[in-house]
Amino acid sequence: MVYVARFTPVSWQAAGFCLVAALAMATAVRADQLADIRLKGELVCGVLATDEPMSFVDPQTRTIIGYEVDLCQAVARKLGVALSVKQIAVAARIPELQQGRVDILAASLTHTRERESVIAFSLTTFVTGQKVMVRRDSGITSLAQLAGKRVVTVRGGTQEANLHKVVSPVDVVTFETAPQALIALQQHKAAGFINDEMSLRNAYAKLGPANQDYLILPQNVSVEPLALGLRKNEPTLKAAVDAALRELEASGEAEKLFVKWLGPNTRLRYQTRPFRIDSDRVAN
Amino acid sequence: MSITGQFDFSVVTTGAYRSWLVSGLGLSLQLTAISLALSLPAAATVALMRLSGIRALRGLGTVYVEAVRNVPLLVHMMFWYFAMPELLPQSARNWLYEHDAESVCAVIALTLYTCAYMAEDIRSGVRAVPVTQLEAARALGFGFLSSMRRVILPQALRIVVPPLVSQTLNLWKNTSIATVIGTAELMYQAQRVETDSFRGVETFGVATLAYLSVSLMITAFATWFHHRFPARSP
Repeated sequence: MVYVARFTPVSWQAAGFCLVAALAMATAVRADQLADIRLKGELVCGVLATDEPMSFVDPQTRTIIGYEVDLCQAVARKLGVALSVKQIAVAARIPELQQGRVDILAASLTHTRERESVIAFSLTTFVTGQKVMVRRDSGITSLAQLAGKRVVTVRGGTQEANLHKVVSPVDVVTFETAPQALIALQQHKAAGFINDEMSLRNAYAKLGPANQDYLILPQNVSVEPLALGLRKNEPTLKAAVDAALRELEASGEAEKLFVKWLGPNTRLRYQTRPFRIDSDRVAN
Repeated sequence: MSITGQFDFSVVTTGAYRSWLVSGLGLSLQLTAISLALSLPAAATVALMRLSGIRALRGLGTVYVEAVRNVPLLVHMMFWYFAMPELLPQSARNWLYEHDAESVCAVIALTLYTCAYMAEDIRSGVRAVPVTQLEAARALGFGFLSSMRRVILPQALRIVVPPLVSQTLNLWKNTSIATVIGTAELMYQAQRVETDSFRGVETFGVATLAYLSVSLMITAFATWFHHRFPARSP
């Protein structure tokens, strides 16, 4: 006798339930980025790698290191996954995140209201400001004196828009990289070079003895709270990242990281840390 | 693309963003027109140098064409903007920096680059005219330059117009490279709009359409010319 498997109505129902459950799980996996990251066992972190000390290539080991890389590492450790660092261009930061090529941005990214409509942000991980570097021989000592002058900067950021808010009229010329903008300033192609304070301090240090010919204007063009960038509508990932950052602050590790990359013994010589990782600050 | 994933072209085709893009398009067209006007006579001169009987002139023409053609345009741009002005005397440099150095340097780079290619097209056009034409002209008592002017070049011109139009098309597209030296042409303004609006797809969609439209107009001119004035064999 041949045995024929026959489904009773009850087993049909069970099969249907299994199918629905499987579909629901598959959908859930696709919808929740945190689960995806845990599944693949890797957090892909987009960094600039050209912005010492936030992220840059270590000349000895040829690997990308820096304050933001360490932050990514701490988040990855907290999520229990490995870290994969991916280099991206300033102007490609948000598209790379939106298109899923990186999971998280740690790329000197300013938390702005405008960007909030496109991506989500973690707690503020760094606070800097945009300032203007000028040549001493130009006689410029305040932002107001930049009116009617040319100012250079790197494209893809908020520098141009912010400068127009505080100085008017001003002619802004942008270049692909910050070093090109610095060369343009050195070559007298512009009166000033606007960039975030840290990059300027860095450039100032790199100028060596020639830096006495330059001056960083004391006034802030803008206050720039930097944060990690996340895709929108991923509340579980944002909660996990924020929790990792809070823990970093509570354990004192955040302070250690700051001193390691930006403290008195580094080129940037920050004496104190001007922020805590405990709130969402937004640029005005 | 916005958060909702919807395209909205009106954002970049109205208001300030539109005026940025229009000013970029205007500068791109100006760069093309000025560079074309400068490179055509220069190219004819270089071509004649390479065809002349004087060895030093031939050598000079060859060195120029090979030196320029074998270096990428991006490098030319960087050189003419970042390096060349440093070699100028102080007064010339100050003059340059007071007169939109970005556009001036872009025109220099584009002109020298386009000129090298056009010179080769003109030279091959002249060589395409049978050598007996030159011999006949010389036999009738014309000198080298007047044989060229009255007999060879009128025939050669019809042959070289299609490749010259093709070089003009390249010139038009090459203006986009000037964005790396801060020249506020169409590509520069498109990047500026994208940075400000986060609408990359729409912005570069509009920029692509602008490049394509002008390119197609140049191509249409080439087709019309080819039908109206076909190359004739003697």
